[in-house]
Amino acid sequence: MTTSATYDDQLTRTFAALANSTRRAILARLAKGEANVKELAAPFDLSMPAISKHLTVLEGAGLIVRGRRAQYRPCSIDPAPLEAVASWSEQYRPIWEARFDQMEDHLRHLSQQPQDNQTLKETTPDHEH
Amino acid sequence: MSTESPAGNAVVIERILDAPIGTVWEMWVDPEHFKAWYGPKGASIPVANMDVQVGGKRLICMEMQTPNGTMQMWFTGEYLEVSSNLRLVFTESMSDENGNAKSPSEMGMPGDHPIVTEVTVELEDLGGQTKMVMTHAGVPQDSPGAMGWNMAFDKLTQYLDTQPASS
Repeated sequence: MTTSATYDDQLTRTFAALANSTRRAILARLAKGEANVKELAAPFDLSMPAISKHLTVLEGAGLIVRGRRAQYRPCSIDPAPLEAVASWSEQYRPIWEARFDQMEDHLRHLSQQPQDNQTLKETTPDHEH
Repeated sequence: MSTESPAGNAVVIERILDAPIGTVWEMWVDPEHFKAWYGPKGASIPVANMDVQVGGKRLICMEMQTPNGTMQMWFTGEYLEVSSNLRLVFTESMSDENGNAKSPSEMGMPGDHPIVTEVTVELEDLGGQTKMVMTHAGVPQDSPGAMGWNMAFDKLTQYLDTQPASS
């Protein structure tokens, strides 16, 4: 089960989407309730296509969902990715994944050395060469 | 996929390691091996006292270099289950260098009660390879929330620092 890549991708998309002040402002507006593109564009000095691009990025990151009706497509916020970023367990996942990558490196290093039970005990990571 | 604890507040990671089960067990219970992999990149583990028996204590020190000098973080805990080559369960909390658990507020983070987490390692012999399932369960539900946001924003800040200025 290699969830780390998927998780990292999700995290990267979430952070990339948040790394823009217009998009954060849009999210802040949607945190108060759903709104359509026109309403979202109102506070900004931006064209509708520019706002639509930002919405597409937010949608791609799973941060917002858009209604289906063509003319009036209300946007609403989806808190799940932010909760994933903030949840206790998801903070620890990348830490453990990195540790286990290092464990695998260490195991590989051990298996390349001639060994018996004694050298296993005495090996330290400092004996590189 | 990662929600098996009663609170749904656990990290579960499964790996198939290309090593015999006895060697993988040593990774967890032999201090020298433990030091070799446990620390984050750029950090070292100068202290790993591990009395690996039920009721035995552990005390781990992580040391990293920061612009403000060397920073040490201490973690203490107790072994709850020790079944050689099969299953290891221990608790973990932040502590001082004498193994006295500290509350997050004493470490400059939100939360007044020491946070105790529990790590379970389960091994399965696959004939030369070993399946390892690690579950890290967070016990409290309240205080880590605020801490979670702090850490998330720290990550966000780091991420932003790596981004080109324009966009």
